[in-house]
Amino acid sequence: MVEKEMEEKVYKSIIKTIKDTPLEEFYTSGHRTCQGCESALVMRFLAKAAGQRTIVIGATGCMYVANTTYYSTSWIVPWVHTQLGGSGAAALGTAAALRALMRKGKIKQEPINVIAFCGDLGCADMGLSGVSNAMTYDYNLLIVLYDNESAANTDIQETSMTPYGAQTSFSRPGKQRRIMKKRWKKSVVPMIIAGHRNIRYAATMTPAYPLDSINKIKKALAIGGPTFIHSLDPCPKGWDYDPRFSHELGVLAAETGLWPLYEYTDGEIAYNEPTKSIVEGRMKRKPVKEYLEKQGRFSHFTEEDIEHIERMVDEMYEEWEIPGVMPIKSLNVKISDK
Amino acid sequence: MTEVKKLVEKEVLMNGTQAVAHAAMYADVDVVAAYPIRPYTEVMDTISKLIADGELDAEFIVAEGEHGQFETVKHASLVGARTLVGSSGVGWLYGMEAIVVTATDRAPIVAIIGNRALDDPGAYGVEHNDALMVRDVGWLLVWVDTAQEAFDTTLIAYRVAEDQRVLLPLGISMDGGFLTHSEQIVRLPPKELVKNFLPPYNRGKYLVHPDNPITVAPQVNDDWVMEIRRQHEEAMERARGVIVEAYEEFKKVFGRYPGSTNELQMPENPFVEPYMVDDAEVVLIGMGTVSKPMKVAIKSMRRQGYKVGMLRIRWFRPFPTQDVIKYLANSRVVCVVDRDYSMGSPNRGGVIYHEIRSSLYDLDQRPRVMSFIGGLGGREITTQDVKKIIKIGYEHRDTPITKPVYWVGVRGDPW
Amino acid sequence: MGVKDEVKYVEIVYRGIFQKRLAKYIAEGIVYTAREIGRPALSFGRYGDSPERNGVPAKYYVGIGNGVNEEDLIGYSTRVEPDLVDTIIVLDDTLLKGVESWAWQGVQPINLKLKSNGTMLVTSTKRINELLKMIPKKDFNWTLGVINTEPSFSGLWAFKDDLTMEKVWGGLAKLRPDIIDLDHLIKYVSKKQDANKRISAVKEAYSSVDYRTVMKGEGIDFVYNPPRLLTWHEMLEGTVIPAVPRGKRNELFKRGTTKFERPTVDFDTCIKCKLCWIYCPDECFDETPDGYYDIAYDYCVGCGICADVCPVKDCIVMVDESMFTDYRRPYEMWKENKAKYKEWLKNVRQARKERVYVPGLGR
Repeated sequence: MVEKEMEEKVYKSIIKTIKDTPLEEFYTSGHRTCQGCESALVMRFLAKAAGQRTIVIGATGCMYVANTTYYSTSWIVPWVHTQLGGSGAAALGTAAALRALMRKGKIKQEPINVIAFCGDLGCADMGLSGVSNAMTYDYNLLIVLYDNESAANTDIQETSMTPYGAQTSFSRPGKQRRIMKKRWKKSVVPMIIAGHRNIRYAATMTPAYPLDSINKIKKALAIGGPTFIHSLDPCPKGWDYDPRFSHELGVLAAETGLWPLYEYTDGEIAYNEPTKSIVEGRMKRKPVKEYLEKQGRFSHFTEEDIEHIERMVDEMYEEWEIPGVMPIKSLNVKISDK
Repeated sequence: MTEVKKLVEKEVLMNGTQAVAHAAMYADVDVVAAYPIRPYTEVMDTISKLIADGELDAEFIVAEGEHGQFETVKHASLVGARTLVGSSGVGWLYGMEAIVVTATDRAPIVAIIGNRALDDPGAYGVEHNDALMVRDVGWLLVWVDTAQEAFDTTLIAYRVAEDQRVLLPLGISMDGGFLTHSEQIVRLPPKELVKNFLPPYNRGKYLVHPDNPITVAPQVNDDWVMEIRRQHEEAMERARGVIVEAYEEFKKVFGRYPGSTNELQMPENPFVEPYMVDDAEVVLIGMGTVSKPMKVAIKSMRRQGYKVGMLRIRWFRPFPTQDVIKYLANSRVVCVVDRDYSMGSPNRGGVIYHEIRSSLYDLDQRPRVMSFIGGLGGREITTQDVKKIIKIGYEHRDTPITKPVYWVGVRGDPW
Repeated sequence: MGVKDEVKYVEIVYRGIFQKRLAKYIAEGIVYTAREIGRPALSFGRYGDSPERNGVPAKYYVGIGNGVNEEDLIGYSTRVEPDLVDTIIVLDDTLLKGVESWAWQGVQPINLKLKSNGTMLVTSTKRINELLKMIPKKDFNWTLGVINTEPSFSGLWAFKDDLTMEKVWGGLAKLRPDIIDLDHLIKYVSKKQDANKRISAVKEAYSSVDYRTVMKGEGIDFVYNPPRLLTWHEMLEGTVIPAVPRGKRNELFKRGTTKFERPTVDFDTCIKCKLCWIYCPDECFDETPDGYYDIAYDYCVGCGICADVCPVKDCIVMVDESMFTDYRRPYEMWKENKAKYKEWLKNVRQARKERVYVPGLGR
């Protein structure tokens, strides 16, 4: 599709207000998720944005076991299970099959959305190689990392997505060691963007910003080629807070700067609110303490730990060349401007 | 009656892997997922060249590992694509999660397994344990012993696996080295005949497509697993009849029995190849390329007066229990050549030994059974070895077996 | 002599995650006390409940050998769940409305497995007569006991040591001395830290637990219609099931029993901003022709997000689930008679208490 046409198509389909959000659900009630599960909201948004001509592939995890609980399903669109680390390969196989069958005239030619979702382990740990491989091809597919910052389905264990010091069953504070999880959360979208030249769209989102989320999914599906979205989902079970505050925590994650919202489109990074206001200096970042103190998984934190996180976040916005995104502080070379 | 078309288009020298690749091209596969591991890799080399040369229209995906490789074709198959995939040895094991699930998802992928010894240490030579790893989980498994049989069986594989009464994945095993890397003449039939034999792949109501909204493999608990396994087991049993049909169809369309050439006439039993078993007192059992040295040795020993025969097992799953009983019931000793092992199993015998023994158990009069573990890691089993096996078997026609298991030619044990 | 006389079972019904530890520790206490008495005992959860999800009803069991040795006890108890139980302990009174833990189970009555002359012990601030308005009738006599205490909820990472365990044990000892008796219970509790405080709680509950016999036929009508499980001939092959049809919801698992509170809506003040609809993780809102948002209560899990995001003060307010007898949708009630609805709203909201729980040590 010609670039101008593509831009128009993508722009016209953007949903500008909540009132314009289509009502029809393609992922519906009757799933065995926790009260206040934001990952379920992500499923709802991706199904809603994608519509009926979609195939969704789900890796093992909370969004598998809870959504297709014991021989029943909440999905209205076709949905296929794949193994924990299999999302990338499964998306690739599905998209390749559709392309081959359409080209050879075995099925009708039409755009069919292929979305594969995976959790912390499925995308950032075990399944990373598969996701990376999928990103190197040119098939139209979207991979969504629904990040609840733990291996939630197995009753909350540490993964590479778990934040510094957070309590999980693998990282409980004890008499000898207060902080078991010292490693910092991986930045998955920057990894994907930096390493795969041909991907045209990647973004971070959180369902606390529904229009932003739905529009990002729509853009990813419309733009063509492999695309990637990383969603931060407050998890009342693992993060330990009253389910009614799920929305509030999502907003705080963005407003403290811990979770920057941005999108990468054809080589350009654009920030989304509220990260845009933070980066452009119109809004001051809320102290991370406000976010951390509301979650039981950080209840063992001392001032020292909170300061450490605050400093890490400060560095993201004050010292990185691309604030919040890429951990590169400077280029020690004079670039000629020819 | 229509004019009998020329049933051989050309004769080409190719090895086992190339034969499979050509058959997959004839079958017009849609999606291929590749990842290198010796000795099966050449299947993928061959097929990618066929695609590049425009002889096959298919998507060729290079995976990042065998797990991804098998996941890719599993999903392509669920969406309705005909697929080709393969692996060997520990590569096959690396993909095992995806491989096992493919059977329960009822995705009829066709995988070629270049049988290779398992690590550690690394060894490229043939051993059957890799493919045998899935013998319990509902994969169809067949062993071929010539390049011609590899070609023919690949076409049969698509026909059987994709049949709506079956819908199970199928592994075609071929000995690493002896078949993957040796060239024989393969008679290729005219391509146009293939569509008379192989219908298009049609998943019916199990197709994953927006026109057929389904959920595939929801989480289940103890209320459902027994029933799911029972269904799967029933499909495996139905495969028996479908295999018989497919072989008969093949003969009708291509004018010869699968595996047969002008020089080599195959007896018409899909599951096993009986050779001189009618009056045999000792019968050898083997899978894969060992059958050919066995036949040479048998012919030689027959001339010396030994009443000996062979039963080659082709289809390991579903296991041809009735054929085994039929051909072995009147023998006195069965010498199973196991190009595999089963550490710590009863009598320390090999896998095929156990299956044969179990098949014969209910007979009132049954032959004695011995296990000859040999050829592991690519070691030869020569005609000389086979003659020795026959002699040992012969000794036990009337005397009870004291040593049920021999390791053929292992240095350190008497042989 | 059948199993019934040889093994006694205690079933603990609780809200998943929030009361996970509580249930486990209560079970543990009963096991240890039974052993003090000299009887073999063991405990087990339901494997199918895991992983537990916030609010989804779950069950834990204690098996006590009664004239049966430990090995036989294990033999009888290697089950997913026992067929019948002697005592049911309910740790949240809204569970009395029904238990639906997973799909294809239907909504089970709270006392489904109760043996004739069995006992049910509930932690609640309500009185017996109020509770009986929620409990299904049985065709035999049984005993209902109430321990006067708020339901004890806690998050995943910390256990709320608020003496609920001790109170439950105390009540159980009073009502079922054949399972655990007071003396041995106190012996067990005295080995713990802060023993004095705990022992007083035990004794207090022992003396103050309110109970009476519930006669056969006393209680409400409860229609229990579990779906018939399919045979392998009827199931589609390849673990395939049909998707939910467009416009519908998952009929096999409604999960209305996950909630202990439900959102009430004051449509008169609603500004139709659509935020409740968009933020509901369980897709429970349906837009009405005139732009309001109706709630499918049978699917609502009571998370409270809608109440939290609604910009109008007191438009959506969470109310104790036990105030309601059915899943009738609020919009139709309002449309039918707006004045009556407003009155009703005022009443239920007044009667509500503050949402009681401190998940872990987070807010």
